[in-house]
Amino acid sequence: MNTLNLVLCAVAAASLDICALVLILTAYQERNTGKKRWNRMTSFMELADYSVSYPLDCDEILIGRHASADIRLPDLSVSRYHAIMTVSNGVWTITDIGSKSGIFVNGNLIKTIQLRENDVIKLGNRRLVFRRKGVN
Amino acid sequence: MSNKMTYVFSALFVLIAHIGMLLNIFFNGNYSGVGSVIILSAAVIFLDVVYFMAMLFFKQNTYAIDFLLILLLNMSVIFQSCFGGVRLSVKHYITCIVALASCRVGYILCRNHKWLQQQKKYFYIGIGILMIVILTLTGSRSMWISLGPITIQPSEFMKPLFVLACATSIAEQQNKHKILKFHVVYENFALFGLMAMIFLLQWWCRDLGSLPTFVAIYACGFLLRICYPKAKFSKNKLIAAGAVLLVVAIIGIKFAPSYVQDRLHVDIWSDQSGGGYQQSQALIGIANGGWFGKGPGHGYLHNIFAHDNDIVFATISEEWGLLYALMMVFVILIIVMIPLINPPRSYFHATMATGICASFAVQMALNIFGSCNMIPFTGVTIPFISSGGSSLMVSGLMAGMLIACQSPVFVQTKKPKKKKSVQPVNYPQQQYIPRRESY
Repeated sequence: MNTLNLVLCAVAAASLDICALVLILTAYQERNTGKKRWNRMTSFMELADYSVSYPLDCDEILIGRHASADIRLPDLSVSRYHAIMTVSNGVWTITDIGSKSGIFVNGNLIKTIQLRENDVIKLGNRRLVFRRKGVN
Repeated sequence: MSNKMTYVFSALFVLIAHIGMLLNIFFNGNYSGVGSVIILSAAVIFLDVVYFMAMLFFKQNTYAIDFLLILLLNMSVIFQSCFGGVRLSVKHYITCIVALASCRVGYILCRNHKWLQQQKKYFYIGIGILMIVILTLTGSRSMWISLGPITIQPSEFMKPLFVLACATSIAEQQNKHKILKFHVVYENFALFGLMAMIFLLQWWCRDLGSLPTFVAIYACGFLLRICYPKAKFSKNKLIAAGAVLLVVAIIGIKFAPSYVQDRLHVDIWSDQSGGGYQQSQALIGIANGGWFGKGPGHGYLHNIFAHDNDIVFATISEEWGLLYALMMVFVILIIVMIPLINPPRSYFHATMATGICASFAVQMALNIFGSCNMIPFTGVTIPFISSGGSSLMVSGLMAGMLIACQSPVFVQTKKPKKKKSVQPVNYPQQQYIPRRESY
C-alpha cells in the first residue's frame, strides 16, 4: 500500500472518529436540554426532607425503605414500599401502595391525591414537603 | 429544535464522514469507470440530505440516534457497494430506505407508553401469528419464507414484539394474584411461556443462532423486575435463577443437536474446506487487511458464501482495515450507550431501551466473535450493517423504538373536562402553617 492510500484510509477513519465524537457530544447536550424540558413538564417540583431534597426524575417515583426504592427513607416507620408518585400533564399524584402506617397529606389520611405546591406529606414518622425546586 | 447549532454540526460531520469514505473509494477503490463512484456518491449524499430534511418534520426531544442511524446505514450502503468492485448496491440501498421508514414507524408507535400498555394483547397475538406462519409457511423446518425474488425471515419480526411484551408486562408487577399461599403475577408466567415457545420453535426449525438474542431480551426484562416497585425479588431468588440458567445452559450444550455439536467442536484449521471454511477464510481476510485494509473492492472475501451478512465484519476488515471495522462497531455501541447518557423517564421505556440495546449488543457480539472463531459460528447479522431486508427493517424499527424512549409522550390523550381541569402550578398558594417539628 502506498503512502497516499494509507493517508486516505487514515483520513476516512479520522473523519468517522470525529463524527462519532461530535455525536456523543450532541447526546450530552441533549441530556442537558432534556433535564430542563423534564423540569418544565413536571412543574419544577421536588420533595424535600430536613436537609435533603429528592429530585423527581421519572414519571413513577417509588418511595419506601427498601434499597430499590427511588426515594429511600431509612426509617422503620416507613414501609419497604410505601407510596408511589406519578406525573401526568404536569400534575403529580401520590398513591398509597399498601403501607402499614398510611399517607397523610396536610394531616389528612389519603389513599391517592393530586399534590399541590407546599403540601406536607407524612410517611410514618417522616415528613416531606412537595415544593418548587430551589425553594428553601 | 432547541440545539440547532449542535444539530447543524452533527449533520455536517455525518456528511464529512461519508465524503471521507467516498474519497477513499475514489482514490483507492477497485472500479471500472468513475461513473459508478459518482452514482454511489450521489445516492449516499442524497439519502443523507433527504433524511436530514425529513428530521425537521418530526418534533423530537433528541436526534442523536437519528444521526447515528443515517451514519451507519449509509456506511453500510458504501461497504456493501464495494464488495467485489465498486457499484451501487441498489437492493441494499432500497432496504436502507425501508429501514429508515420503519424507524419512523417505530418512533410514532412507541412514544406513548400509556397507549402502548393498552395494546399489549396484540403483541402476544402478533407473536402467536408469526409462530404459526413460521410453522406453516416456511417449508420443512426452516425460518425463511420465499416470495419469488424476496425472502422474509418472520422470526426477526418477533424481536420487537417480544421487547414490547417484556416492557408492557413490567407495569403489571403490582397486580399480584393470590394462588394458594403464593402471590403471583400472571404476566410473568405468560412471558416465560412465550420464551419457552420461542425456544421450542427455534429448536424445531434448527435455527438456534438467534436464541441468545431472545434470551438476552428476556433476561433484561427479568432483571428489571427486581428494580420495579413491589417486585420484592430477593437476592437468594436471583442467585437461584442464575444457577438454574447455568445448569440449563450446561445441559443444553451437552445434549444439543448434532448440527450444533459440530459447530461447537469444529477445528476450523484442520477442516478448512469443510465446516471451518467460512471462519478460516474470514480470519485470513482480517489478517490480510491489516489495520488499513487492502482498499475498497480489492478484497477476496466477496467470493465466500454469506460475505455480506454472516462474515461481514471480516469482509469490511479486509477491504477497509481493522481500524475502520472497529470504528464501525464503536458507532453501533454509541447507539447502545445513548440510553445511558440520556436515561429514559419511565420504567416502560427503560425496559424497552434495555431490551433493544441487549438485542443489538448480543447480535453484534455473536456475529463478530463468531466470524473470529472465538465462539461457534451462528450466522446472526450485525444490526444496520449486514445485508438482509428482514434484519435491516427490524433493526430500523427497533432504532425508532429507541428514539421513542428518548422522546416519550407523557401527556394523556384524553382531554380533561373544563370545569374539573386541574392547573398544575397556577393554584393559589395554600396557606402553609408550619408545625413545630416541621420546616
